[in-house]
Amino acid sequence: MRKIREKIFEILIKILTAFSVLILAFVVIFIFKESLTFFKEVSIWKFITGRKWNPLGPPEELSILNIICGTVYVSLVGIAIALPIGIGTAVVLSCYTNENIKRLIRGILDILAGVPSVVYGFIGLLVVVKFFEVNFSFASGESVLSGGIVLSVMLLPFIVSTCDESMEKIYREYSQSSRALGVSKGYMIRNILLPASKRSILASVVLALGRGMGETMAVMMVIGNAPIIPRLLGKTQTIPSLIALEMGMAEVGSLHYHALFASGFVLMIMLLIINGLLYFIKNKMDI
Amino acid sequence: MRERLKDNLFRTWIVLSTSLVFIIVVYMFLYIFINGAGTISREFLFSDPKGMPMGSEGGIFPAIVGSLLLMLIACVFASILAISTAIYLVFYCSSERVKRLIHLIIQCMSGVPSIILGLFGYTSLVLHLGLGRSLISGGITLGVMIFPYIQVRVEKTLIEVDKSVVDASYALGVSKVYTLYKLIFPMCKFDIVSAITLAGGFAMGAAAPIILTAAVIFAPVPESIFSPVMALPFHLYILTGEGISLEKAYGTALVLMLILLIINIISALINFTRKEHE
Repeated sequence: MRKIREKIFEILIKILTAFSVLILAFVVIFIFKESLTFFKEVSIWKFITGRKWNPLGPPEELSILNIICGTVYVSLVGIAIALPIGIGTAVVLSCYTNENIKRLIRGILDILAGVPSVVYGFIGLLVVVKFFEVNFSFASGESVLSGGIVLSVMLLPFIVSTCDESMEKIYREYSQSSRALGVSKGYMIRNILLPASKRSILASVVLALGRGMGETMAVMMVIGNAPIIPRLLGKTQTIPSLIALEMGMAEVGSLHYHALFASGFVLMIMLLIINGLLYFIKNKMDI
Repeated sequence: MRERLKDNLFRTWIVLSTSLVFIIVVYMFLYIFINGAGTISREFLFSDPKGMPMGSEGGIFPAIVGSLLLMLIACVFASILAISTAIYLVFYCSSERVKRLIHLIIQCMSGVPSIILGLFGYTSLVLHLGLGRSLISGGITLGVMIFPYIQVRVEKTLIEVDKSVVDASYALGVSKVYTLYKLIFPMCKFDIVSAITLAGGFAMGAAAPIILTAAVIFAPVPESIFSPVMALPFHLYILTGEGISLEKAYGTALVLMLILLIINIISALINFTRKEHE
Protein backbone atom coordinates (compact mmCIF):
# COMPACT_ATOMS: atom_id res chain seq x y z
CA MET A 1 0.00 0.00 0.00
CA ARG A 2 2.73 2.41 0.98
CA LYS A 3 4.73 1.46 -2.08
CA ILE A 4 1.77 2.34 -4.30
CA ARG A 5 1.35 5.71 -2.66
CA GLU A 6 5.03 6.44 -3.16
CA LYS A 7 4.75 5.48 -6.78
CA ILE A 8 1.64 7.58 -7.38
CA PHE A 9 3.26 10.60 -5.79
CA GLU A 10 6.37 10.19 -7.89
CA ILE A 11 4.37 9.87 -11.09
CA LEU A 12 2.24 12.87 -10.17
CA ILE A 13 5.33 14.98 -9.55
CA LYS A 14 6.81 13.87 -12.85
CA ILE A 15 3.65 14.67 -14.79
CA LEU A 16 3.37 18.13 -13.25
CA THR A 17 7.03 18.82 -13.95
CA ALA A 18 6.66 17.70 -17.53
CA PHE A 19 3.61 19.91 -17.85
CA SER A 20 5.40 22.98 -16.51
CA VAL A 21 8.32 22.42 -18.81
CA LEU A 22 5.97 21.96 -21.73
CA ILE A 23 4.27 25.31 -21.10
CA LEU A 24 7.17 27.07 -22.79
CA ALA A 25 6.77 24.75 -25.78
CA PHE A 26 3.01 25.50 -25.81
CA VAL A 27 3.70 29.22 -25.80
CA VAL A 28 6.14 28.95 -28.68
CA ILE A 29 3.93 26.57 -30.68
CA PHE A 30 0.73 28.57 -30.26
CA ILE A 31 2.35 31.84 -31.26
CA PHE A 32 4.19 30.19 -34.14
CA LYS A 33 1.03 28.50 -35.41
CA GLU A 34 -0.87 31.77 -35.51
CA SER A 35 1.97 33.61 -37.23
CA LEU A 36 2.51 30.85 -39.80
CA THR A 37 -0.68 31.90 -41.60
CA PHE A 38 0.81 35.34 -41.96
CA PHE A 39 4.21 34.17 -43.14
CA LYS A 40 2.51 32.16 -45.87
CA GLU A 41 1.23 35.40 -47.37
CA VAL A 42 4.05 37.78 -46.61
CA SER A 43 7.65 36.61 -46.59
CA ILE A 44 9.42 36.88 -43.26
CA TRP A 45 12.19 38.91 -44.89
CA LYS A 46 9.78 41.51 -46.17
CA PHE A 47 8.07 41.55 -42.78
CA ILE A 48 11.18 42.48 -40.82
CA THR A 49 12.83 44.75 -43.39
CA GLY A 50 9.88 46.75 -44.66
CA ARG A 51 9.12 50.08 -43.07
CA LYS A 52 5.37 50.58 -43.52
CA TRP A 53 2.82 49.46 -40.95
CA ASN A 54 -0.63 50.26 -42.20
CA PRO A 55 -3.11 47.61 -41.11
CA LEU A 56 -6.21 49.54 -42.14
CA GLY A 57 -5.11 49.85 -45.77
CA PRO A 58 -5.88 49.58 -48.56
CA PRO A 59 -3.36 48.44 -49.49
CA GLU A 60 -2.64 46.63 -46.24
CA GLU A 61 1.05 46.98 -45.58
CA LEU A 62 2.42 45.12 -42.63
CA SER A 63 6.13 45.29 -41.95
CA ILE A 64 7.80 46.15 -38.72
CA LEU A 65 11.36 47.35 -39.19
CA ASN A 66 10.51 50.74 -37.67
CA ILE A 67 8.87 49.04 -34.74
CA ILE A 68 11.78 46.67 -34.15
CA CYS A 69 14.13 49.67 -34.22
CA GLY A 70 11.86 51.50 -31.78
CA THR A 71 11.86 48.52 -29.39
CA VAL A 72 15.65 48.25 -29.38
CA TYR A 73 16.18 52.01 -29.29
CA VAL A 74 14.00 52.61 -26.21
CA SER A 75 15.71 49.76 -24.36
CA LEU A 76 19.18 51.01 -25.25
CA VAL A 77 18.36 54.54 -24.08
CA GLY A 78 16.99 53.05 -20.87
CA ILE A 79 20.14 50.99 -20.32
CA ALA A 80 22.41 53.92 -21.14
CA ILE A 81 20.74 55.96 -18.41
CA ALA A 82 20.44 53.17 -15.87
CA LEU A 83 23.88 51.60 -16.24
CA PRO A 84 26.06 54.33 -14.67
CA ILE A 85 23.58 54.81 -11.83
CA GLY A 86 23.27 51.07 -11.32
CA ILE A 87 27.01 50.39 -11.28
CA GLY A 88 27.58 53.29 -8.89
CA THR A 89 24.96 51.94 -6.51
CA ALA A 90 26.34 48.41 -6.81
CA VAL A 91 29.83 49.67 -5.89
CA VAL A 92 28.49 51.45 -2.81
CA LEU A 93 26.42 48.42 -1.92
CA SER A 94 29.29 45.94 -2.19
CA CYS A 95 32.24 47.96 -0.88
CA TYR A 96 31.20 50.88 1.29
CA THR A 97 28.37 49.75 3.51
CA ASN A 98 27.78 47.67 6.60
CA GLU A 99 25.11 45.00 6.88
CA ASN A 100 22.30 47.29 8.04
CA ILE A 101 22.67 49.84 5.28
CA LYS A 102 23.03 47.02 2.79
CA ARG A 103 19.71 45.65 3.93
CA LEU A 104 18.14 49.11 3.62
CA ILE A 105 19.40 49.67 0.06
CA ARG A 106 18.37 46.17 -1.00
CA GLY A 107 14.94 46.75 0.52
CA ILE A 108 14.57 49.95 -1.46
CA LEU A 109 15.61 48.21 -4.66
CA ASP A 110 13.09 45.44 -3.95
CA ILE A 111 10.40 48.08 -3.59
CA LEU A 112 11.47 49.60 -6.91
CA ALA A 113 11.26 46.17 -8.55
CA GLY A 114 7.86 45.54 -7.00
CA VAL A 115 6.13 48.67 -8.27
CA PRO A 116 3.77 47.58 -11.07
CA SER A 117 4.76 48.75 -14.52
CA VAL A 118 1.45 50.50 -15.08
CA VAL A 119 2.22 52.74 -12.10
CA TYR A 120 5.59 53.60 -13.68
CA GLY A 121 3.77 54.46 -16.87
CA PHE A 122 1.28 56.59 -14.95
CA ILE A 123 4.00 58.55 -13.15
CA GLY A 124 6.02 58.75 -16.36
CA LEU A 125 3.10 60.25 -18.21
CA LEU A 126 2.30 62.80 -15.52
CA VAL A 127 5.86 63.72 -14.54
CA VAL A 128 8.40 62.96 -17.29
CA VAL A 129 6.23 63.64 -20.33
CA LYS A 130 4.75 66.75 -18.74
CA PHE A 131 8.23 67.96 -17.76
CA PHE A 132 9.33 67.91 -21.40
CA GLU A 133 6.15 69.58 -22.55
CA VAL A 134 6.25 72.39 -19.99
CA ASN A 135 9.97 73.11 -19.73
CA PHE A 136 11.12 72.57 -23.29
CA SER A 137 7.80 73.43 -24.91
CA PHE A 138 7.82 70.35 -27.10
CA ALA A 139 4.66 69.76 -29.05
CA SER A 140 4.51 66.38 -27.41
CA GLY A 141 6.67 65.03 -24.61
CA GLU A 142 5.91 61.48 -25.62
CA SER A 143 9.20 60.27 -27.07
CA VAL A 144 11.90 57.65 -27.11
CA LEU A 145 13.70 59.66 -24.45
CA SER A 146 10.69 59.64 -22.08
CA GLY A 147 10.36 55.90 -22.62
CA GLY A 148 14.05 55.46 -21.90
CA ILE A 149 13.89 57.49 -18.71
CA VAL A 150 10.89 55.57 -17.37
CA LEU A 151 12.44 52.28 -18.40
CA SER A 152 15.77 53.14 -16.76
CA VAL A 153 14.12 53.38 -13.35
CA MET A 154 12.51 49.98 -13.88
CA LEU A 155 15.78 48.40 -14.98
CA LEU A 156 17.85 49.75 -12.07
CA PRO A 157 17.04 46.98 -9.57
CA PHE A 158 17.98 44.27 -12.09
CA ILE A 159 21.27 45.94 -12.96
CA VAL A 160 22.23 46.57 -9.35
CA SER A 161 21.41 43.09 -8.11
CA THR A 162 23.26 41.38 -10.97
CA CYS A 163 26.41 43.50 -10.52
CA ASP A 164 26.37 43.61 -6.75
CA GLU A 165 26.55 39.85 -6.25
CA SER A 166 29.83 39.30 -8.04
CA MET A 167 31.32 42.64 -6.99
CA GLU A 168 30.96 41.67 -3.38
CA LYS A 169 32.77 38.39 -4.05
CA ILE A 170 35.59 40.14 -5.87
CA TYR A 171 35.87 42.80 -3.19
CA ARG A 172 36.25 40.20 -0.46
CA GLU A 173 38.88 38.42 -2.46
CA TYR A 174 41.12 41.44 -3.01
CA SER A 175 40.36 43.89 -0.22
CA GLN A 176 42.78 42.45 2.30
CA SER A 177 45.78 42.14 0.03
CA SER A 178 45.25 45.59 -1.43
CA ARG A 179 44.92 47.11 2.03
CA ALA A 180 48.11 45.33 3.08
CA LEU A 181 49.86 46.93 0.11
CA GLY A 182 48.62 50.35 1.18
CA VAL A 183 46.49 50.89 -1.90
CA SER A 184 43.57 53.24 -1.37
CA LYS A 185 40.10 51.80 -1.57
CA GLY A 186 39.04 54.04 -4.45
CA TYR A 187 42.11 53.11 -6.50
CA MET A 188 41.57 49.42 -5.86
CA ILE A 189 37.91 49.61 -6.91
CA ARG A 190 38.68 51.54 -10.07
CA ASN A 191 41.62 49.42 -11.18
CA ILE A 192 40.77 45.95 -9.91
CA LEU A 193 37.14 45.63 -9.00
CA LEU A 194 35.53 47.30 -12.00
CA PRO A 195 37.64 45.53 -14.65
CA ALA A 196 37.16 42.22 -12.86
CA SER A 197 33.40 42.56 -12.83
CA LYS A 198 33.20 43.26 -16.56
CA ARG A 199 31.42 39.99 -17.19
CA SER A 200 28.71 40.55 -14.61
CA ILE A 201 28.18 44.07 -15.93
CA LEU A 202 27.75 42.54 -19.37
CA ALA A 203 25.29 40.03 -17.93
CA SER A 204 23.32 42.85 -16.33
CA VAL A 205 23.17 44.72 -19.66
CA VAL A 206 21.89 41.63 -21.46
CA LEU A 207 19.33 40.98 -18.72
CA ALA A 208 18.20 44.60 -18.82
CA LEU A 209 17.95 44.51 -22.61
CA GLY A 210 15.64 41.51 -22.39
CA ARG A 211 13.51 43.13 -19.72
CA GLY A 212 13.37 46.44 -21.53
CA MET A 213 12.39 45.02 -24.88
CA GLY A 214 9.58 43.02 -23.35
CA GLU A 215 8.21 45.83 -21.20
CA THR A 216 4.69 46.77 -22.20
CA MET A 217 2.65 49.06 -20.02
CA ALA A 218 5.15 51.62 -18.78
CA VAL A 219 6.69 52.13 -22.20
CA MET A 220 3.37 52.13 -24.02
CA MET A 221 2.02 54.98 -21.94
CA VAL A 222 4.89 57.39 -22.64
CA ILE A 223 6.16 56.82 -26.19
CA GLY A 224 3.23 58.07 -28.24
CA ASN A 225 2.83 54.87 -30.28
CA ALA A 226 3.43 55.98 -33.86
CA PRO A 227 5.10 53.44 -36.15
CA ILE A 228 7.59 55.87 -37.68
CA ILE A 229 11.39 55.88 -37.85
CA PRO A 230 12.41 56.37 -34.23
CA ARG A 231 14.29 59.53 -33.27
CA LEU A 232 15.39 60.40 -29.75
CA LEU A 233 12.84 63.16 -29.32
CA GLY A 234 10.17 61.75 -31.60
CA LYS A 235 7.32 59.36 -31.07
CA THR A 236 7.87 55.69 -31.63
CA GLN A 237 6.26 52.29 -31.25
CA THR A 238 7.49 49.07 -29.65
CA ILE A 239 6.40 45.52 -30.42
CA PRO A 240 4.75 44.91 -27.02
CA SER A 241 2.83 48.17 -27.19
CA LEU A 242 1.80 47.41 -30.75
CA ILE A 243 0.33 44.09 -29.66
CA ALA A 244 -1.35 45.47 -26.57
CA LEU A 245 -2.92 48.36 -28.45
CA GLU A 246 -4.04 46.71 -31.66
CA MET A 247 -4.93 43.17 -30.61
CA GLY A 248 -8.28 44.27 -29.30
CA MET A 249 -9.19 45.95 -32.60
CA ALA A 250 -7.92 43.26 -34.95
CA GLU A 251 -10.61 40.97 -36.25
CA VAL A 252 -9.89 37.35 -35.27
CA GLY A 253 -8.46 35.50 -38.27
CA SER A 254 -7.69 38.60 -40.34
CA LEU A 255 -4.26 39.30 -41.76
CA HIS A 256 -3.80 42.06 -39.20
CA TYR A 257 -4.50 39.60 -36.39
CA HIS A 258 -1.92 37.15 -37.71
CA ALA A 259 0.58 39.96 -38.30
CA LEU A 260 0.37 40.87 -34.62
CA PHE A 261 1.16 37.28 -33.71
CA ALA A 262 4.02 37.37 -36.17
CA SER A 263 5.47 40.46 -34.51
CA GLY A 264 5.07 38.73 -31.16
CA PHE A 265 6.92 35.77 -32.62
CA VAL A 266 9.78 37.98 -33.80
CA LEU A 267 10.02 39.58 -30.36
CA MET A 268 9.99 36.19 -28.66
CA ILE A 269 12.76 34.82 -30.88
CA MET A 270 14.90 37.90 -30.18
CA LEU A 271 14.34 37.50 -26.44
CA LEU A 272 14.97 33.75 -26.43
CA ILE A 273 18.31 34.41 -28.10
CA ILE A 274 19.10 37.12 -25.55
CA ASN A 275 18.17 34.82 -22.67
CA GLY A 276 20.18 31.93 -24.05
CA LEU A 277 23.12 34.32 -24.25
CA LEU A 278 22.54 35.39 -20.66
CA TYR A 279 22.43 31.78 -19.50
CA PHE A 280 25.82 31.11 -21.05
CA ILE A 281 27.40 34.31 -19.70
CA LYS A 282 26.16 33.38 -16.23
CA ASN A 283 27.40 29.80 -16.52
CA LYS A 284 30.83 31.02 -17.53
CA MET A 285 30.81 33.45 -14.63
CA ASP A 286 30.54 30.69 -12.04
CA ILE A 287 33.56 28.79 -13.28
CA MET B 1 47.32 65.21 -8.22
CA ARG B 2 45.53 63.56 -11.11
CA GLU B 3 44.98 60.52 -8.93
CA ARG B 4 43.29 62.74 -6.35
CA LEU B 5 40.99 64.27 -8.94
CA LYS B 6 40.03 60.86 -10.28
CA ASP B 7 39.31 59.68 -6.77
CA ASN B 8 37.07 62.62 -6.07
CA LEU B 9 35.20 62.23 -9.32
CA PHE B 10 34.73 58.56 -8.58
CA ARG B 11 33.38 59.29 -5.12
CA THR B 12 30.99 61.91 -6.42
CA TRP B 13 29.72 59.47 -9.02
CA ILE B 14 28.93 56.65 -6.63
CA VAL B 15 27.43 58.91 -3.96
CA LEU B 16 25.30 60.68 -6.54
CA SER B 17 23.99 57.49 -8.06
CA THR B 18 23.09 55.96 -4.71
CA SER B 19 21.31 59.09 -3.55
CA LEU B 20 19.50 59.28 -6.87
CA VAL B 21 18.03 55.82 -6.24
CA PHE B 22 16.80 56.97 -2.82
CA ILE B 23 15.36 60.17 -4.23
CA ILE B 24 13.50 58.36 -7.02
CA VAL B 25 11.85 55.93 -4.63
CA VAL B 26 10.85 58.57 -2.09
CA TYR B 27 9.61 60.91 -4.81
CA MET B 28 7.47 58.25 -6.48
CA PHE B 29 5.82 57.18 -3.27
CA LEU B 30 5.21 60.70 -2.02
CA TYR B 31 3.83 61.67 -5.42
CA ILE B 32 1.26 58.89 -5.38
CA PHE B 33 0.39 59.27 -1.71
CA ILE B 34 0.00 63.03 -1.69
CA ASN B 35 -2.07 63.13 -4.86
CA GLY B 36 -4.11 60.05 -4.17
CA ALA B 37 -4.89 60.46 -0.48
CA GLY B 38 -7.71 62.93 -1.09
CA THR B 39 -9.60 60.55 -3.35
CA ILE B 40 -9.70 57.63 -0.96
CA SER B 41 -12.99 57.40 0.81
CA ARG B 42 -15.43 54.77 1.91
CA GLU B 43 -17.46 55.37 -1.21
CA PHE B 44 -14.43 55.12 -3.51
CA LEU B 45 -13.39 51.79 -2.02
CA PHE B 46 -16.77 50.11 -1.75
CA SER B 47 -18.93 51.18 -4.66
CA ASP B 48 -19.15 50.47 -8.38
CA PRO B 49 -17.72 52.85 -10.96
CA LYS B 50 -20.37 55.22 -12.30
CA GLY B 51 -20.70 58.19 -14.54
CA MET B 52 -20.24 58.85 -18.19
CA PRO B 53 -17.63 57.90 -19.39
CA MET B 54 -17.58 54.93 -17.07
CA GLY B 55 -15.25 55.46 -14.14
CA SER B 56 -15.38 59.24 -13.92
CA GLU B 57 -17.45 58.92 -10.76
CA GLY B 58 -18.09 56.27 -8.17
CA GLY B 59 -15.61 53.74 -6.86
CA ILE B 60 -13.43 50.81 -7.73
CA PHE B 61 -14.81 47.96 -5.63
CA PRO B 62 -15.20 45.42 -8.50
CA ALA B 63 -11.62 46.15 -9.60
CA ILE B 64 -10.26 45.46 -6.12
CA VAL B 65 -12.17 42.18 -5.86
CA GLY B 66 -11.22 41.23 -9.43
CA SER B 67 -7.54 41.84 -8.82
CA LEU B 68 -7.54 39.80 -5.63
CA LEU B 69 -9.32 36.89 -7.32
CA LEU B 70 -6.94 36.96 -10.29
CA MET B 71 -4.03 36.88 -7.88
CA LEU B 72 -5.53 33.94 -5.99
CA ILE B 73 -6.07 31.82 -9.11
CA ALA B 74 -2.60 32.68 -10.42
CA CYS B 75 -1.00 31.72 -7.11
CA VAL B 76 -2.82 28.39 -6.86
CA PHE B 77 -2.04 27.43 -10.46
CA ALA B 78 1.58 28.54 -10.34
CA SER B 79 2.46 27.13 -6.94
CA ILE B 80 1.17 23.62 -7.70
CA LEU B 81 3.39 23.47 -10.78
CA ALA B 82 6.32 25.29 -9.22
CA ILE B 83 6.48 23.22 -6.04
CA SER B 84 6.18 19.96 -8.00
CA THR B 85 8.95 20.97 -10.36
CA ALA B 86 11.17 22.02 -7.49
CA ILE B 87 10.56 18.74 -5.64
CA TYR B 88 11.30 16.78 -8.78
CA LEU B 89 14.55 18.63 -9.41
CA VAL B 90 15.81 18.37 -5.85
CA PHE B 91 14.62 14.93 -4.73
CA TYR B 92 13.86 12.81 -7.78
CA CYS B 93 15.93 13.89 -10.73
CA SER B 94 19.24 12.11 -10.84
CA SER B 95 20.52 13.17 -14.23
CA GLU B 96 22.62 16.33 -14.28
CA ARG B 97 21.79 16.85 -17.92
CA VAL B 98 18.02 16.83 -17.38
CA LYS B 99 18.45 19.23 -14.49
CA ARG B 100 20.44 21.64 -16.59
CA LEU B 101 17.91 21.42 -19.41
CA ILE B 102 15.01 22.19 -17.08
CA HIS B 103 16.90 25.10 -15.58
CA LEU B 104 17.58 26.49 -19.05
CA ILE B 105 13.90 26.19 -19.95
CA ILE B 106 12.80 27.92 -16.77
CA GLN B 107 15.32 30.69 -17.34
CA CYS B 108 13.94 31.19 -20.84
CA MET B 109 10.42 31.17 -19.50
CA SER B 110 11.18 33.91 -17.02
CA GLY B 111 12.49 35.94 -19.95
CA VAL B 112 9.33 35.64 -22.04
CA PRO B 113 7.70 39.06 -21.78
CA SER B 114 4.28 39.27 -20.20
CA ILE B 115 2.62 40.57 -23.36
CA ILE B 116 3.65 37.40 -25.22
CA LEU B 117 2.08 35.36 -22.42
CA GLY B 118 -1.01 37.50 -22.88
CA LEU B 119 -1.04 36.65 -26.59
CA PHE B 120 -0.62 32.98 -25.72
CA GLY B 121 -3.47 33.12 -23.23
CA TYR B 122 -5.61 34.91 -25.79
CA THR B 123 -5.19 32.37 -28.57
CA SER B 124 -5.06 29.21 -26.45
CA LEU B 125 -7.43 29.86 -23.56
CA VAL B 126 -9.75 32.61 -24.73
CA LEU B 127 -10.22 31.45 -28.33
CA HIS B 128 -9.26 27.78 -28.69
CA LEU B 129 -10.55 26.50 -25.36
CA GLY B 130 -13.47 28.90 -25.55
CA LEU B 131 -13.07 30.22 -22.03
CA GLY B 132 -13.62 33.76 -23.23
CA ARG B 133 -12.30 36.82 -21.46
CA SER B 134 -12.64 35.52 -17.96
CA LEU B 135 -11.22 35.24 -14.51
CA ILE B 136 -9.89 31.77 -15.24
CA SER B 137 -8.11 32.72 -18.49
CA GLY B 138 -6.46 35.72 -16.87
CA GLY B 139 -5.59 33.77 -13.73
CA ILE B 140 -3.88 30.98 -15.63
CA THR B 141 -1.99 33.44 -17.82
CA LEU B 142 -0.73 35.27 -14.75
CA GLY B 143 0.09 31.89 -13.21
CA VAL B 144 2.33 31.04 -16.15
CA MET B 145 4.01 34.40 -15.66
CA ILE B 146 4.86 33.89 -11.97
CA PHE B 147 5.66 30.17 -12.22
CA PRO B 148 9.42 30.60 -12.83
CA TYR B 149 9.66 33.09 -10.02
CA ILE B 150 8.13 30.74 -7.43
CA GLN B 151 9.98 27.71 -8.77
CA VAL B 152 13.42 29.29 -8.43
CA ARG B 153 12.79 30.39 -4.84
CA VAL B 154 11.22 27.10 -3.71
CA GLU B 155 14.05 25.12 -5.25
CA LYS B 156 16.59 27.29 -3.46
CA THR B 157 14.81 26.67 -0.15
CA LEU B 158 14.65 22.93 -0.71
CA ILE B 159 18.35 22.77 -1.57
CA GLU B 160 19.22 24.64 1.59
CA VAL B 161 17.52 21.99 3.75
CA ASP B 162 20.16 20.24 5.81
CA LYS B 163 21.16 17.19 3.75
CA SER B 164 22.13 15.16 6.82
CA VAL B 165 18.58 15.34 8.21
CA VAL B 166 17.18 13.98 4.95
CA ASP B 167 19.83 11.26 4.77
CA ALA B 168 19.17 10.26 8.37
CA SER B 169 15.48 9.96 7.58
CA TYR B 170 16.18 7.74 4.56
CA ALA B 171 18.61 5.65 6.61
CA LEU B 172 15.86 4.95 9.13
CA GLY B 173 13.83 3.49 6.31
CA VAL B 174 11.39 6.38 6.18
CA SER B 175 9.84 6.77 2.75
CA LYS B 176 10.47 9.76 0.50
CA VAL B 177 6.90 11.00 0.62
CA TYR B 178 6.73 10.78 4.40
CA THR B 179 10.07 12.57 4.70
CA LEU B 180 8.77 15.32 2.45
CA TYR B 181 5.53 15.83 4.33
CA LYS B 182 6.71 15.45 7.88
CA LEU B 183 10.25 16.72 7.74
CA ILE B 184 10.97 18.95 4.80
CA PHE B 185 7.71 20.85 4.35
CA PRO B 186 7.47 21.90 8.00
CA MET B 187 11.03 23.20 7.71
CA CYS B 188 10.39 25.15 4.51
CA LYS B 189 6.77 26.18 4.79
CA PHE B 190 7.45 29.79 5.79
CA ASP B 191 9.87 30.31 2.93
CA ILE B 192 7.49 28.75 0.43
CA VAL B 193 4.51 30.79 1.59
CA SER B 194 6.60 33.94 1.52
CA ALA B 195 7.74 33.21 -2.04
CA ILE B 196 4.15 32.64 -3.15
CA THR B 197 2.91 35.84 -1.51
CA LEU B 198 5.62 37.91 -3.19
CA ALA B 199 4.84 36.37 -6.56
CA GLY B 200 1.16 37.07 -5.93
CA GLY B 201 1.94 40.74 -5.56
CA PHE B 202 3.84 40.64 -8.81
CA ALA B 203 0.86 39.01 -10.55
CA MET B 204 -1.53 41.53 -9.13
CA GLY B 205 0.36 44.50 -10.53
CA ALA B 206 0.73 43.08 -14.03
CA ALA B 207 -1.53 44.59 -16.63
CA ALA B 208 -0.12 43.32 -19.92
CA PRO B 209 -1.19 39.65 -19.61
CA ILE B 210 -4.75 40.49 -18.64
CA ILE B 211 -5.49 43.17 -21.24
CA LEU B 212 -6.25 40.43 -23.74
CA THR B 213 -7.36 37.62 -21.46
CA ALA B 214 -9.48 38.90 -18.59
CA ALA B 215 -9.91 42.58 -18.02
CA VAL B 216 -12.78 44.68 -19.30
CA ILE B 217 -13.60 48.33 -18.77
CA PHE B 218 -16.60 47.60 -16.65
CA ALA B 219 -17.93 44.44 -15.06
CA PRO B 220 -19.70 43.79 -11.78
CA VAL B 221 -18.08 41.67 -9.09
CA PRO B 222 -17.57 38.31 -10.89
CA GLU B 223 -20.14 35.61 -10.18
CA SER B 224 -18.19 32.66 -11.54
CA ILE B 225 -14.69 31.99 -12.77
CA PHE B 226 -15.97 32.29 -16.33
CA SER B 227 -17.08 35.90 -16.07
CA PRO B 228 -14.94 38.83 -17.16
CA VAL B 229 -13.50 41.02 -14.43
CA MET B 230 -12.20 44.47 -13.71
CA ALA B 231 -8.65 44.74 -12.42
CA LEU B 232 -6.84 47.60 -10.72
CA PRO B 233 -3.85 47.93 -13.09
CA PHE B 234 -6.08 47.81 -16.16
CA HIS B 235 -8.52 50.26 -14.62
CA LEU B 236 -5.64 52.63 -13.91
CA TYR B 237 -4.48 52.32 -17.50
CA ILE B 238 -7.92 53.06 -18.88
CA LEU B 239 -8.47 56.02 -16.57
CA THR B 240 -5.18 57.64 -17.64
CA GLY B 241 -4.95 56.42 -21.21
CA GLU B 242 -8.42 57.58 -22.14
CA GLY B 243 -8.10 60.66 -19.96
CA ILE B 244 -11.29 59.83 -18.05
CA SER B 245 -10.45 61.10 -14.61
CA LEU B 246 -7.04 62.00 -13.25
CA GLU B 247 -8.30 62.22 -9.70
CA LYS B 248 -9.74 58.69 -9.79
CA ALA B 249 -6.52 57.48 -11.43
CA TYR B 250 -4.43 58.81 -8.52
CA GLY B 251 -6.78 57.06 -6.12
CA THR B 252 -6.60 53.77 -8.04
CA ALA B 253 -2.80 53.93 -8.16
CA LEU B 254 -2.68 54.56 -4.42
CA VAL B 255 -5.03 51.66 -3.65
CA LEU B 256 -2.96 49.35 -5.87
CA MET B 257 0.26 50.41 -4.18
CA LEU B 258 -1.26 50.03 -0.71
CA ILE B 259 -2.51 46.51 -1.42
CA LEU B 260 0.92 45.55 -2.76
CA LEU B 261 2.54 47.11 0.30
CA ILE B 262 0.30 45.02 2.56
CA ILE B 263 1.16 41.87 0.60
CA ASN B 264 4.86 42.63 0.92
CA ILE B 265 4.56 43.32 4.63
CA ILE B 266 2.76 40.00 5.11
CA SER B 267 5.52 38.23 3.23
CA ALA B 268 8.19 39.98 5.30
CA LEU B 269 6.35 39.10 8.52
CA ILE B 270 6.21 35.45 7.51
CA ASN B 271 9.94 35.54 6.91
CA PHE B 272 10.41 37.22 10.26
CA THR B 273 8.36 34.58 12.12
CA ARG B 274 10.50 31.92 10.56
CA LYS B 275 13.66 33.55 11.90
CA GLU B 276 12.06 33.75 15.35
CA HIS B 277 11.36 30.03 15.23
CA GLU B 278 14.92 29.12 14.50
